[in-house]
Amino acid sequence: MLQFPVWKICLILGIMLWGILMALPNVVNMSGTPAGVPKQGVNLGLDLQGGVYLMMEINPDEVVANRLEVFAIDVRNTLGNKDGKTLIGHLPTLDGRTLNINLTRPDAEGNFPMDEALARVRKLNGGVEGAIGGAKTYEIAAAGPAVIKVTVPATSEEALMKDALAKTMTIVRRRVDPEGVSEISITPQGNSRIILEAPGEPDATRLKSLLSRDGKMTFNLVESSPSAISAAEKGVVKPGYRLLTGPETGPLLVRNIPEVTGADIATASQGYDDGNRPQINFRLNGNGASKFYQTTRNNSGKLFAIVLDDTIMSAPRINEPIPGGSVRITGTFELEEAQDLAAIIEAGEMPAKVQFLDQRTVSATLGQDSIRAGVRASLIGLALVAFFMILAYGLMGIFAVGSLAANIILIVGALSGLGATLTLPGIAGIILTIGMAVDANVLVFERIREEQRAGRSPLTAVQAGYERALSTILDANITTFIAAAILYLLGSGPVKGFAVTLAIGIITSVFTAFVLTRWFTVIYLKGFKPKKFAL
Amino acid sequence: MLLRYWPQSTKIKFMSLRMGGALLSLLMITASIYFLAMRGLNLGVDFAGGTVMEIQQTETVTVETVRAAMPYTAEVNSAVGTDARAIIVVKFGAADPSKLGDEFTTLKPEAQAERAQQVTNDIVKETLMEKLGLTDEDFLRDDSVGPKVSGELFRSGILALVVALALMLAYIWFRFEWQFSVGAVAALAHDVIITLGLFSLLQLEFNLTTIAALLTIIGYSMNDTVVVFDRVREERRKYKKMPDRQVIDQSLNMTLSRTLLTSGTTLLALFAIFFLGGTVLRGMSFALIWGIFIGTYSSIFIASSIVLSLGMDLNKKPAEDVTGFQGVG
Repeated sequence: MLQFPVWKICLILGIMLWGILMALPNVVNMSGTPAGVPKQGVNLGLDLQGGVYLMMEINPDEVVANRLEVFAIDVRNTLGNKDGKTLIGHLPTLDGRTLNINLTRPDAEGNFPMDEALARVRKLNGGVEGAIGGAKTYEIAAAGPAVIKVTVPATSEEALMKDALAKTMTIVRRRVDPEGVSEISITPQGNSRIILEAPGEPDATRLKSLLSRDGKMTFNLVESSPSAISAAEKGVVKPGYRLLTGPETGPLLVRNIPEVTGADIATASQGYDDGNRPQINFRLNGNGASKFYQTTRNNSGKLFAIVLDDTIMSAPRINEPIPGGSVRITGTFELEEAQDLAAIIEAGEMPAKVQFLDQRTVSATLGQDSIRAGVRASLIGLALVAFFMILAYGLMGIFAVGSLAANIILIVGALSGLGATLTLPGIAGIILTIGMAVDANVLVFERIREEQRAGRSPLTAVQAGYERALSTILDANITTFIAAAILYLLGSGPVKGFAVTLAIGIITSVFTAFVLTRWFTVIYLKGFKPKKFAL
Repeated sequence: MLLRYWPQSTKIKFMSLRMGGALLSLLMITASIYFLAMRGLNLGVDFAGGTVMEIQQTETVTVETVRAAMPYTAEVNSAVGTDARAIIVVKFGAADPSKLGDEFTTLKPEAQAERAQQVTNDIVKETLMEKLGLTDEDFLRDDSVGPKVSGELFRSGILALVVALALMLAYIWFRFEWQFSVGAVAALAHDVIITLGLFSLLQLEFNLTTIAALLTIIGYSMNDTVVVFDRVREERRKYKKMPDRQVIDQSLNMTLSRTLLTSGTTLLALFAIFFLGGTVLRGMSFALIWGIFIGTYSSIFIASSIVLSLGMDLNKKPAEDVTGFQGVG
């Protein structure tokens, strides 16, 4: 217990040096130092630097329904008209999570061509991505003489959700951070949730409005005959069309089937028109540009509506064929609005609408207040504890306070080195550690006192004190460590930060109290050889 | 050293006070259960769902003007925030669906339930910004938690407590004997129940950081109990003929000055957080301060007296305690 060979001393000094190096960037600016020297201080949690935390969820029902809706169009295409044989007259209908295909064309004997229909629909059924053994995406079965039901089995739903979550994350990223420069973190949680953390001073309302839109963009032709419009306003909408409206255009009759869709858009950005007002520019890809050219060539004089999430953004009149695929939307946009719309259009359509479950915003002002209060509480706590220890144990108290200072350097160094995030409860964890770290010292010192009282010499009393206190110190700290580990595994956000500092604090305080203080004591005892050990 | 007022060796007969302790604990536990049943806990937004906003108070933005500008019913109070800032605290749940606009009422009922809180929050924020000329910067904090997440957070919080207790039980069983493990966990359960009772009695806000505080109390109380148990085991082996009661009393007295010193330093640090750490940490530090007292009390009067009642059979096992960890330093 009292022997400190050279390697042990080197190890202690090495650990301390590592702690100081890691902790240093928190105090001084390290830019300009040679490569390899750590430059990054502790990561501050959102509660300390301010920012927005958003928890979003995509609904499995909606993901499944959206996929079935797309499948319905394929089904209509294969059954509607192939080899001159028509099996159904209209689009299959969606009922919750089931797609009902109603066969409407019986043969001469009144029988429906079920086998033929099933074979055609099954041909459309692809395998689940990544599944072993060729599991299919849909379950397709006859339900009665004229009805086919299409459902999504659980295994394929899981794959669909995975795919939808990955897509949603990409879209979220492209919407909130189109330039790819911000520090916004977007992480999945479970199989249906996304957590977005935007540090600094972002606008929560703007973030939410950016993310809550489907982003479904279409270019549709408009029926502008006055009789059709007046009939639609009375509730009789021309088949194949629907009545949509927009702030710039008012109600218009828009063709259901779009000419060009969001998938045909290559890029979108915010620009300015001749009057220096914000506008949205976009460029179509090759396929989109040729469709756009065809449509504008064949429909001269008609209105061409640009629709985003069922709202008409603009409906200019087609005057001449437009080649090249460059399109712009002008209107009375605010600058921010035009930027956001451009980001939404470029990012594309969400696989399902996101719902916000949990939103937490902390302003940068409050963050700075919290840091200031936390640092002040730590310093005062530290000073009080130091004073108390010196009062209680004199010289040994000073050794303990030296270890305590080393302990704090190591905690800060470990937090920086591990890239852990410091939260406000984390600061509380450090202060709590300051209080509890002296426990190991106290246990040892009390033992040494007892041994001295039993008549042992200083050296043997110190030896016995450390030996006897060891198992107690380990037992006591392992139990606290268990509590910290559970907090880390089951806690969230700031509480996790508390668990991390508590756990690190336990390890460093055992090291500093049991190794560092002992080393100080041994140096003192061997150097001064006191007859009686003042304690 | 300088602090020599504390006598070198005390001879307090703790175990003869244990019936009094048991009675006091029983009383506190009964009262706690009564309060928990009658008044419940004042669940914060983390567990109950809802929104809490903190707004910077100014000459024009006061409790009265905020109250007047609120579109829905809400609790509006003034408070002293972190770093002595004057703030207004606004709390509200989800507004009635019929008041959230046409777009909202067309949603499916399940979607309505899930989105109501967020939509209410957005409308309140917009209204306050418009009527009082506030900017985003004036909202120091804005937390809104939907019913789904709050339920999950509550369940995982309770789970964390239960798992922690179970693991402690297992660890003590492994390191000591079953009597010690029963005593330790009874003491922990005692601490948790009485702390919950206090939160119910004072109607303090119970949130995620309170769960963190409870787990830390468990850790601390355990720490204290283990120190006492270690000494009891050691003394038991040293004095084979001494009655259990005397062994426990002697061990408690021997560890008493350590117990008081550690509690003292920890309390000093905690009081610093309580007074200087700001509003966010006040609830947490309050729980921890209380936990230090109750944890120290329970290791003497609950953990040790249960061990005394159950009896020890340490003689069955060979002495293997200290050597188990030798050589680490």
